Order: sequence, then structure tokens, then C-alpha cells
Amino acid sequence: MLHRTWRRAAIAAASLLTLTLVACSEEASDAKDLSGNRAGAMADYDVGTQFTATEPLSFSILYNNHPNYPLKNEWLFWSELTKGTNVKLEPVAVPLSDYEQKRSLLVGAGDAPLIIPKTYHPAENQFVSSGAILPVSDYLDLMPNFKEKIDKWGLKPEIDTLRQSDGKFYLLPGLHEKPWQEYTVAVRTDILDELKQPVPKTWDELYTVLKAMKAKYPDSYPYSDRWSKPTPGGALLRIAGSSFGTQAGWSFQHSTWDPAAGKFVYTGATEQYRQMIQYLNKLVTEGLLDPESFTQSDEAARQKLANGKSFVISSNAQTLVNDYRPDLAKTIPGAKLVNIPLPVGPAGEINPASRLENGVMISKKARDSKNFVAMMQFIDWLYYSDAGQEFAKWGIEGTTFVKDAAGKRMPAPDVDMIGLNPKGTKHLQKDFGFANGVFAYGGKLDLMQSFFSPEELEFQKVMNTRKPVDVPPPAPLTDAEREQVSLWETPLKDYVTQNTLKFILGQRPLTEWDAYVGELKAKNADQYIEVVNKAYERFKKDNG
Amino acid sequence: MVTVEAAETGETRRVTRRPKGIRPTRGYRVFQAVNAVILTGVVIVTLYPFVNIVARSLSDEAYIIAGRVNLVPRGFNLTTYKLVMSDALFWTNYRNTVVYTVVATVISIVLTTCYAYVLSKPRLKGRGALVGIAVFTMFFSGGLIPNYVLITSLGMKNTIWAVVVPNAINVFNLLVMKAFFESLPEELEEAAAVDGLNTYGTLLRIVLPLSKAIIATMVLFYAVSFWNSWFTAFLYLDQQEMFPVTVYLRNLIAGATGAQSAGGVAESDAVQAAATLQAVTIVLTTLPILAVYPFIQRYFVSGVMLGAVKG
Repeated sequence: MLHRTWRRAAIAAASLLTLTLVACSEEASDAKDLSGNRAGAMADYDVGTQFTATEPLSFSILYNNHPNYPLKNEWLFWSELTKGTNVKLEPVAVPLSDYEQKRSLLVGAGDAPLIIPKTYHPAENQFVSSGAILPVSDYLDLMPNFKEKIDKWGLKPEIDTLRQSDGKFYLLPGLHEKPWQEYTVAVRTDILDELKQPVPKTWDELYTVLKAMKAKYPDSYPYSDRWSKPTPGGALLRIAGSSFGTQAGWSFQHSTWDPAAGKFVYTGATEQYRQMIQYLNKLVTEGLLDPESFTQSDEAARQKLANGKSFVISSNAQTLVNDYRPDLAKTIPGAKLVNIPLPVGPAGEINPASRLENGVMISKKARDSKNFVAMMQFIDWLYYSDAGQEFAKWGIEGTTFVKDAAGKRMPAPDVDMIGLNPKGTKHLQKDFGFANGVFAYGGKLDLMQSFFSPEELEFQKVMNTRKPVDVPPPAPLTDAEREQVSLWETPLKDYVTQNTLKFILGQRPLTEWDAYVGELKAKNADQYIEVVNKAYERFKKDNG
Repeated sequence: MVTVEAAETGETRRVTRRPKGIRPTRGYRVFQAVNAVILTGVVIVTLYPFVNIVARSLSDEAYIIAGRVNLVPRGFNLTTYKLVMSDALFWTNYRNTVVYTVVATVISIVLTTCYAYVLSKPRLKGRGALVGIAVFTMFFSGGLIPNYVLITSLGMKNTIWAVVVPNAINVFNLLVMKAFFESLPEELEEAAAVDGLNTYGTLLRIVLPLSKAIIATMVLFYAVSFWNSWFTAFLYLDQQEMFPVTVYLRNLIAGATGAQSAGGVAESDAVQAAATLQAVTIVLTTLPILAVYPFIQRYFVSGVMLGAVKG
């Protein structure tokens, strides 16, 4: 009896499986037929058109809830959005602290909202094989603004880096007209004046300056850095790495494109990587860079700076204004701290920032909705049209912002935003829901820079004269390959991180570099690169 | 109660009289001294972080940044307390925590008591299997996504039940309680049966009144764990108005420390909750549950030990 039951169960399971497979293969064939999905869509939607759904629609959206401006249902953003587009968004609020985890859970459980913003490439890779995410590249014809910006700003090479092994991409990234380099080094200029030193332009000049500081203040470590958790030296290695022509710290990637050789090489074994390590090692051995820079908490680094125990620290526009200056103002009156343009290294005058931003994924199930076309048009308008981007960032002209004669946007008299109008009693983010990280990013240069202080504008002006870094060609892995390399990635990355620190801190002499490269090979660095190069060749052959 | 007090006073009298009669040995005194030193050390180590947080919450930001706040607040002020307390969401979440904790604890106590009582009876058929089912869950679980799908299909998502039901029985607590019930003399229940009580009557009128110590302990265990829990709420709730205060706190702190939490790229809008803000929120969230301890603590030791030693 039992035996028979089991057999029946097995047959049932098998037939169920077959059914699912059949269902899956059927689905793929009608990818292009959108005739049943046009309810609510505009027939003449194009660049410059205000999107308004022809009937009231609502879409669910995963909402990254920021503790600085917690979600409010009465925000002007929601009501004005519905008024303008006839679309009501239904947010699923997820705390920012654990956004990625909830996103994986919801996608994995098949319960994800239709629109999934705030996804940083390559986080979408993990969802591609499950089939839960829409290959948006198939539907770009529905998104005129997105296409126009890619053409106008020459973003095709960047977009190609998002492609998967099937040649499609699954993430609609935020687009920048110009790269926006946020991170750099902040230097106490009052100390520079005192030492009669110029503002350093290159990493070598920075070395000279640090040396002079050390000579004057032997008890200090002139450079003590933050942003070391969870990635040791995350920010410092990232900015130094980019200037030396490699990728380290936060931006570490296992493979680096070598244009001369026409193939990928293993990042942690390159000459550029060695040079960066050598430079930082020199700083540490001469007592110019605090060895704790790679392990201490942000707060410890801030305290050292605030107490005059260090004079140089990694920085960005916000931390300079929000952290360092207020800290210093309370402890060392007269201290002047300035973000210097990113020091230039052997890689030349480059702007290492990417022109792509985090972006939007779309649930596959949206494709079956009768409002699918309208939804794509809506996303195109809100995230990629000039009008939509201005609306998301600044709100309504006359209510939340005003323009002067030159067309420069300013917050309305009673509205404040990051100190642009300290007299304003209401806050653009907290009280109105605009300039919200979920909706507002990227865009044209003047929009991008509209929140910048004059100081930051100056900094970006210098950075914009530098040439953007070349984008590596796409080398998308198949699922099987990805599974294989992910087994190698963790031990390799740990080993590179560990030894990078050992070399920099002098615990391992740089003469052992060749031995280290050999050890990387023993940990499958060569096989890893082989897989990537194979993927590169394959993609080139299949996609021209 | 009267007898207990009498016994206690008797005890103290004997202790105070002891120096006249038997002098504690040298070894014993050394042991006591070492003990006292070690325990004082432990007290300092455990107390310091808490006192430090309280001091920070009352200090001026500048002193915290300068690293000069240790045990005593500097630049005493209450502005941050006023700020946090004026956030409506904080109080909404706070209320949720209280409601979830109370409801969840009640459910847990009822279910755990019933289950443990049943399991403590040797005559129960399939007792081994029932214990096995419970213990199995200590080592294996279905995993995140299956659990999520289960809760969703039961229609509990975005309701209080998603928070208070799934973790209602803690197996460890169940086993402690089972051991406690097993230690009760069987004759007592036999006598109750002879006097005409059925199973429920025995449990409610005889066993439970004798189990105050263990129940108080379980209330403490459960209440603390529900008060501190955030993960189930985070998983199954989609609206911030329904979150417990722990999720609020976590978002505040994690958001403030992780400039590059989101996939290696920094948030363009700075996430900086001030140091005092964190401290204030931590103090406000932990205080109530700390206040529960002293009231339950006297049951605590006897409660856990009873089951353990006599079982």
C-alpha cells in the first residue's frame, strides 16, 4: 500500500514539474506582443511628453525607508505625483538598514512589488537566474527618455557592462551626464599655511606635505583615516587605487581590463596594485599614515581629527560639512579643512567615478499586467525625463522651489535643504518627500549640481576637466560560471585584503610580492581570469 | 509567606552569630576575597557600557566627539530627549513593542505551559515523538523563504499575529518547564484526582499555583526576547507604523554607521544620526525591560534551578 502511494506521489510530482517546464517555455515566445498590456498607456508618449495615464493606475513599489526622512503618506510628493501622472504608488516600506535582505526575501518568495528601486549593480545578478526579474533591455522601446539619454550622453559602453550572458540587462540604472566623484581627501589648510606648503595636487605632493606635517608635529599621525568597516581602508584604497589605475577597497573587482593586452588580468596581482601598496607602505613606515586607519571606527578617526592628532582624512561633500567642520569648530577654533581635488597618480588626470547609479529592477510578473506599457512609460517619465527628474528632486516650482533669472533653482523661502536656506522652517525631504534617494538621482549636470555648495561646485569643476575612466568591455558569466567563480571569489578576496594590509603595514616585506602572486595562483586566480576572458570572447562573438 | 520569613530571619541570625563560634577557615576567606574581586570586575565590565550610554545621552555632542564622555555626562542637556520624544513614529513603534510583547508573552506562556505539562506525564502515549518534534526544530528549520511563504499564505502578513505566533514556543524554555513539572510529586495530583478534579482542574488549581516561580521565570525569558526581537517584525511587516521600536532603533543606528551599506556605493544623502541621538534612543528602549528584572528576579534563580536540579 505504502509503496503504491509513494509511486503515485512521485508520478504526480514529475508531472507537475513537466507542467511547470512547459509553462515556462511557453511564456518566452510571446515576449514582444504587447497588445494586451496597453491599458492606461499613452499612445503618443515620447521625449518631452508629460506622462499621464489614461485611467487611474496603481503600482506597488519597494520603498527604502531612510531614517533621516521616514516615509509619510501625506507628502506632497505622493499627491502631486498622482495629480500629474494619474498613478498612485503603493510603497512597501523596508528599513534602510536591512533593505537588501528583505529584497532578496521578497524576490525569492515571489512576493516582490512590481517596481524594485535602489538596486546597485551587480546585486541584480543573483536574481537573474531565478527568472523573477524582467529583462528590461527587451522593452527599451517603451522608454524614449532612457534611450535618448543613453544616446545623447554616449553611455552605451557603460550600459554594456550591465549585460548578462544572454546579452540582456535586468537593471535600469540611474544615468549621469557627467561622472560625479564624491570621495577625496580633506586637508587642514591652516596647517598647510603654517608650514608654507601648497595644496597637494598629486599623491607625491601629498607625501611631501604629510612629511612636513610630521616634521612639525612628530607626535601626530598626519593622515588617519575612517571608513574602514566592514572593508578595511575602504575609501582610502578606493581613491588611491583609482589614481594608480587599479581597483581596491570599496571598488575592488577581481578582474581588471588590460587594454594593451586585450584581456582581463587579476587585479590583486597587477603592477598598478603593487605600486599603490608600495606608496601606502611608504606612508606607514615613515609614520605619516596612521596604521589604525585600516581598522579603527569612523568615530575614532573623527576624534583624532577633531583633537588635532591628525590633519588629513578621507572625505566627501557631506562629511566635510556635516561631520568634520562642526567637530573642529567645537574643538579647534581657527582650523580650516578643505576637500582637495582628488590627488593625481600614475593613472593620470582621470575622473574615476562611474556615470551609472543604482537603479530599478522590475518584477517579471509586471509583464503580465494589462498596465505593463503604462508602467514602463511611468518609470521612464519619473526616473529619466528632465521634467520627472526635476520634480523628484526639487518638487513644485513656486511651492517648494523658485528659479532666479538665470534659471538657478533655490528652495522656496520657507523650505530648507542641506543648509541651502537655513531660514526655512520646513524640510524638502522630511516634510515634502522630495530629493528622496528612492526617486531622485542622476540627470543633467545642472540638475545634479543644483544642491552643491559653491565649494563643491569648484571641486566638481576641476574633476570634470579630467577624463572619465575607460569602461571595461562586458564579460558576462553564465549561471554555471558564476556559481563556479563565486566559490573562488571569497577566499581570493580575503587573501588579497589580508595581504594588502600586511604589505601596507609592513608585516610582510614587499620583496615577497612574487611569492604572493604565486599564492594567488594557488588560490585559482588564473582559473578565475580564464573564465572571465572566455566570457569576454564569447560575448564579443555573440554580440559583435 | 510567614513561614518563609521566619526561616530567613533564622538564617541571618545564625550567620551573624557565626564569628563567635566557628571561625571561617583561612582558605574560605581567601576564596571570598578573590570572589569579591572577580565579581566586582564583572559588575564593572557589564555596567560600564550602560553607564557610558546614559552619560552620552545626557551630554553635549561636542564632548562626545572629543572623546571626553566616560561615566559622567558633560555639558548636561536634555534637548535630544525632547527631540526623540517629539517623533510620533517613535511612540507609535514604542506602543507596538509593548503590545507585541504583552500579547506574545501571554500566548507563549499558555502554549508552553500546556505543551510542557502534557509532556511531563510519563503515561502519555507518543510522548517520545512529541518531544522529538519539538527538539527537531532546535536543529533544523525550513529556512527564511519557506517560512515567509507559509506566514504569507496563512494571511498573517502585516498583522500582529505574524509577530506573536511564529516563535511562540521556545524549545529550551519548554524543556525547562517540562523538567519542572516532572519534579512535582505525583501524589499531589493523585490526591486532586481523588477529590474529583479532572485534568484541567488539576492543572489550573493545583499545578499552576505551585509553579509561580517557573512561570515568572518564563515570563521574563519570553518578555525580554520579544522586547528585543526585530527580525520577525522586519520580515513580515511592510508598514512602518506597525514596526516595533527595535526596528526603528536598528534603522537609526545601522543607517548612521554604514555610509556605504548599500553595495559599496555611498548614499549620496548623508546618513548621520548624531551620537547623542543613538544613545538617547538606546536608553529609552532598554529602560522599561530593565525595570522588569528586579521584580521577577527573586523567582528567577529558584525557577530555573528547580527544574534543573531535581529533574
